[in-house]
Amino acid sequence: MFGYYFRLGVRSLRRNPALTALMVLTLAVGVAASVSTLTILHMMSSDPIPQKSSRLFVPLIDNGPVEGYTPGEDPEDIQISYKDALNLLKGGQGVRRTALYGVSAPVQPPRADIQPFNLTGLAPTRDFFAMFDVPFLHGQAWTEQDDARGADVVVLSREIAEKLYGDADPVGQRIALMGFPFTIVGVIDNWMPLPRFYRLNGGVRYGAGEEFFIPLATSIRHEVTHNGSMSCSSNAGAGFAARLASECTWITVWFETASAGDRAELQTWLDNYAADQRKLGRLKRNAQNRLYDVPEWLVYTKVVGKDSKLQTWLAFGFLALCLVNTIGLLLAKFSVRAAEIGVRRALGASRAEIFRQFLIETSVVGLVGGVLGLVLAFGALALIGMQGKQTAAVAHMDWQMLILTFVISVGAAILAGLLPTWRACQVTPAIQLKSQ
Amino acid sequence: MLRMTNLSKVYRTHMIETHALRGFEIEVREGEFVTVTGPSGSGKTSFLNIAGLLEEFTSGEYILDGVNVKGLDDNARSRLRNEKLGFIFQGFNLIPDLNLFDNVDVPLRYRGFNASERKKRIEDALSKVGLASRMKHYPAELSGGQQQRVAIARALAGSPKLLLADEPTGNLDTQMARGVMELLEEINAAGTTILMVTHDPELAVRTTRNVHIIDGRVSDLVRRGPTLVDARAATAPV
Repeated sequence: MFGYYFRLGVRSLRRNPALTALMVLTLAVGVAASVSTLTILHMMSSDPIPQKSSRLFVPLIDNGPVEGYTPGEDPEDIQISYKDALNLLKGGQGVRRTALYGVSAPVQPPRADIQPFNLTGLAPTRDFFAMFDVPFLHGQAWTEQDDARGADVVVLSREIAEKLYGDADPVGQRIALMGFPFTIVGVIDNWMPLPRFYRLNGGVRYGAGEEFFIPLATSIRHEVTHNGSMSCSSNAGAGFAARLASECTWITVWFETASAGDRAELQTWLDNYAADQRKLGRLKRNAQNRLYDVPEWLVYTKVVGKDSKLQTWLAFGFLALCLVNTIGLLLAKFSVRAAEIGVRRALGASRAEIFRQFLIETSVVGLVGGVLGLVLAFGALALIGMQGKQTAAVAHMDWQMLILTFVISVGAAILAGLLPTWRACQVTPAIQLKSQ
Repeated sequence: MLRMTNLSKVYRTHMIETHALRGFEIEVREGEFVTVTGPSGSGKTSFLNIAGLLEEFTSGEYILDGVNVKGLDDNARSRLRNEKLGFIFQGFNLIPDLNLFDNVDVPLRYRGFNASERKKRIEDALSKVGLASRMKHYPAELSGGQQQRVAIARALAGSPKLLLADEPTGNLDTQMARGVMELLEEINAAGTTILMVTHDPELAVRTTRNVHIIDGRVSDLVRRGPTLVDARAATAPV
């Protein structure tokens, strides 16, 4: 009977084209509004590295001053100091570890037709690439020796490599960065996790890929200042060396453990490290040393802002409003079908059959509304994407959202159809048949 | 085929009670062609609706083809209606956006016949009423008489034991009415029991029995020569 009712539903769409169009449009607009905002929320809050997000940890060590501190309050920054970062790296915890900070550097292109320009990128240690499953197009990450001696080596993004060298493999070539010749050891393929969870400071959290990578030690050796935010609770003093020795926070550390269960061990080690530092007169707040896996980190750093959540609620409120309108339209549509319901009841349809028929009919409206809603949602996302690079990165639909669009649409239509369908079932056939 | 014993139907509003049927007794035997007559408001329609399981009765007993219908739930009543009854209405009640084939198909769908069985029954039924060549037409493309023939085909397609007809010729001119009546007589002759509500005394005298309803009670009439007389009087010597 499903196929029969489905065909009747499709046929009924043609019965009253104006009313049908109004219903479909009402539903589609509501679906488009809710789906487009939900898509953005979904992309903003999705797990950027699901295969190992429970094994990647970022530590937070509060090195702020005691003055004005209330026990239990959050640290002032989401980064740590260089000295802590260096110590954590040396501690050798986890199966991999890295410390990183954002950098920018001028590049002298090898081609005369391209003017020098500035690159933005990252200064991590070698483990970064394996920890975050960064895909390589050519070459590979630099070596541990390169890390140790701060070698002038660089990994380029695919976009920059193609801009400078076309389709050729540039590994082994030398390129002038900050006025120094750097050897290209690798080119990464397109890689832009959403959000950019590994470095959330600096305001740019979406749609900004790294253009180049140089070893942390190299960056420090060349005294490349950080590209992003920094928090200093006291005067850091002048010069790069003073910044390295200060309690200013501007660097992020990540650990990768063999399993999520190794977290406790890492936490113990971190607590012991902090205790040792306190003996040296540091970390006077005696605050809890925090460890966040990736999903926790996204929550803690409020990657998804209150505004985004509010917008989503508003959009669903709008969908509810559209549903109320759809209910009214369906009531009107079904009320003129009372005679047909009477006939069907007389010919042997039970109330349950009538309920099924009309619910499937509303599902057909939902399906058509879903298709139109999808088109409108794509249009809305394209418009949102034009607002900027960050929004463009999250304003696109994946297959999960595609399926969800139809689920929302058909679900909404069924929800809207429940009352009209129930009322259709209550038709007294005898009265309808006589009144014909 | 159909037996109602001491049946009553009371319509209640918060203000008044209306007794549509009271102490209603009737038995229709298999193969009969029974007309139901009576003045407006006498209870004819209530009787037909209750007989067709479209309305519940207040008290009494109703046996339809051996099944006591009292207390049956909606599913069981619908199944019984679909399997044992056929309906013909004064206003034809065809579904306007279904063609003739699909209109006749409606009760067969609820019966659960497969596609080939349904096709065979639809074609047979439309052939019987002389409209097999127009099965892709829509009701609006037919005359009133033809529409009523389609309604008869729809009622017959499921091979019902009892055909309930509510003023089937009421909306037709004399010639069309005669054609429909002849068709019903053929159907009855082929073995289907028919219960027909009518205002037309000419039609009433053509059937085997006439049930006259007054104030919700039955007054059974039978044919004696060209006229109808009270069944009780018919037993008395002329």
